[in-house]
Amino acid sequence: MLLVEDDASIRESTAIGLERAGLRVITARDGQEAVEAFAKERFDLVILDLMLPGIDGFEVCRRIRRDSGVPIVMLTARADATDVVAGLELGADDYVTKPFDLPVLVARVRAVLRRISGETPGTVHRVGDLEIDEGAFSVRRGGRELDLTATELRLLAALARRPGQVFTREMLLETVWGYDYLGDSRLVDVAVQRLRAKVEEDPGRPRRISTVRGVGYRLERA
Amino acid sequence: MHAPVAPPTRLRRRLAVAFVLVAGVLTALLATTTYLMVRQARLHDSLDRAERETRFGLRLATGLGPGSDLQQFVEGFGAGGLHATVLDGDRRFDSDPAVAPSVPASVRTLVRDGQLAYARLDVGGRPWLLVGGRPAGSATELYLLFNEEAMDRDLVELRNALLLGWLGSVVAAGLVGWLVARRTLAPVARASRAARSLAEGLLDTRLPEEGADELGTWAASFNRMAEALQAKIADLTEARARERRFTSDVAHELRTPLTALVSEASMLAEHVDRMPPEAVRPAELLIGDVARLRRLVEDLMTISRFDAGGEDVRREPLELGSLVAAAIRARGWQDRVRVRGVEVRLESDRRRVEAIVANLVANAVEHGGREVAVRVGADGGRAFVEVSDRGPGIAPEHLPHVFERFYKAERARTGGSGLGLSIALENARLLGGDLEAWSELGRGARFTLWLPVTEPLRAGDGPVASAGQDGDGPTEEG
Repeated sequence: MLLVEDDASIRESTAIGLERAGLRVITARDGQEAVEAFAKERFDLVILDLMLPGIDGFEVCRRIRRDSGVPIVMLTARADATDVVAGLELGADDYVTKPFDLPVLVARVRAVLRRISGETPGTVHRVGDLEIDEGAFSVRRGGRELDLTATELRLLAALARRPGQVFTREMLLETVWGYDYLGDSRLVDVAVQRLRAKVEEDPGRPRRISTVRGVGYRLERA
Repeated sequence: MHAPVAPPTRLRRRLAVAFVLVAGVLTALLATTTYLMVRQARLHDSLDRAERETRFGLRLATGLGPGSDLQQFVEGFGAGGLHATVLDGDRRFDSDPAVAPSVPASVRTLVRDGQLAYARLDVGGRPWLLVGGRPAGSATELYLLFNEEAMDRDLVELRNALLLGWLGSVVAAGLVGWLVARRTLAPVARASRAARSLAEGLLDTRLPEEGADELGTWAASFNRMAEALQAKIADLTEARARERRFTSDVAHELRTPLTALVSEASMLAEHVDRMPPEAVRPAELLIGDVARLRRLVEDLMTISRFDAGGEDVRREPLELGSLVAAAIRARGWQDRVRVRGVEVRLESDRRRVEAIVANLVANAVEHGGREVAVRVGADGGRAFVEVSDRGPGIAPEHLPHVFERFYKAERARTGGSGLGLSIALENARLLGGDLEAWSELGRGARFTLWLPVTEPLRAGDGPVASAGQDGDGPTEEG
């Protein structure tokens, strides 16, 4: 995995912590290094500080997303800042607020990795003209392959397991992100937005994934 | 805070009354003097004329012999509204018996002594001037009676004219006074309005500086004062903003090394039991202090965010009782904290409500020991969460200050950053609610969070899907 952090102490201690948890970590000091490292190697996960000298975290996120669906966990200053939403909208999968507890970061990283480790059974859901193959990590609409990130795919799969049923944000946070209590419901909202942009014909007037005001989201049967 | 301000009309009335009084007294004095002087002059003139006529008559009478026809003599005066009476011993001759005045005794006495004498009489309801004298070398007395009706009428007319004039000038004075007062006081009224709006915080209020009179000068002074005030307040605001920016910057700058510290401390914590015995305690203390520093910095960051304003509120439907219970369970307090009450559904910011409740319960658990009770309910259109403990309580002198930043009732108290309750209060206010503290020494403390219950929620009565429109994304906060 790739850890992008400009502060040497944080970088080193976090890397040690992650390595102790059994993860292989490559570090980058700034945006430039991050982009270069990403071009050279394949990573299962990127931990990305948003405040970086030179190319900032948002730009790094945008460039990674341009050609990869690799999970991205942001390190941010504040949970309630517009940074979080901006990062999520650029395609980050989750975030951790500084200062963070190492065990919390490790848990979040593990949850994200679990999502892509393919431990789910290779179920294939067909909802309307959508075909979601959890095992193969692919989604087709009318036979055409859609380019989804792991989180978006998990979210769509979660909704597709029971088409027509309303899922609350909390339920989705638990099944997709692995939060047991008090995750940030913006994670769900932004991910749904991004998902709609990819699966809906007109994302402005969603017909597949509908909002149930005050409750949550639902994948329409057809 | 407001001093009683005389309504501008009262001052105006007072000025007008003063005008009327001065004008009234002055014109009254003038009119009275005029009247008296004219009257005096007229009376004098009338007397002069009467005296001349009388002397002339007396000269005529001097030529009368003892046998003269006195009746004929008096009738000779009869023309021209004049009447004559001659008294000769007991005999009496009148030019007109209809106008035969009885001569007052005082006049007769003087006349008999050979002097001219006069008196003003009322005969038949008309004013007359009676002048009498004794012709030289005769015992007869000649009295002439002059009609003063015309003069009286003139005087009455004059009096009426003066009275009318006086009344007119009083009314005019009143009117002029009112108008002048209004004109003069208009800037005063404007100034008082300006002062009021300045007091209400409209610091750019200014007065038009017109005219070189006292009011113009005063307006200029007022404006200078307002400018100074505005500049001063701008300075203070700027200084405060600088201070807040500094706090925020410090907190943010501390965050980076702190993040490293927290990671390092948590790694250290995993190895405490394998450390040499003499290093264990210092390591434990270090780990605890890092946690404390972290709380302080996080709270500082939170409070400086409140100061900067622009905190966003993400309202969503929630069940208060469940939220409180979940918050307590999530922190492993369920064995120590009793939760009861009824479920209340409202729309609020889940994270903020959770943060407030967690802070209150954490305080109660820290100070109140085992007996911490949480009650959830609704009262008077507001929802409440009441957290009470049976701890030592807070002294009355400390109670009003518990929500102040860095206020610690007991100096030796450990744990909190001293900002927890301030943050809780800021959060409660941000949600449109409030936070109340009650305590009695030795009996415990009770903190109550009040939250507004907004519109009744639709979600609970069967979800309403809005498939066509999506108004529920992350941008719908507020």
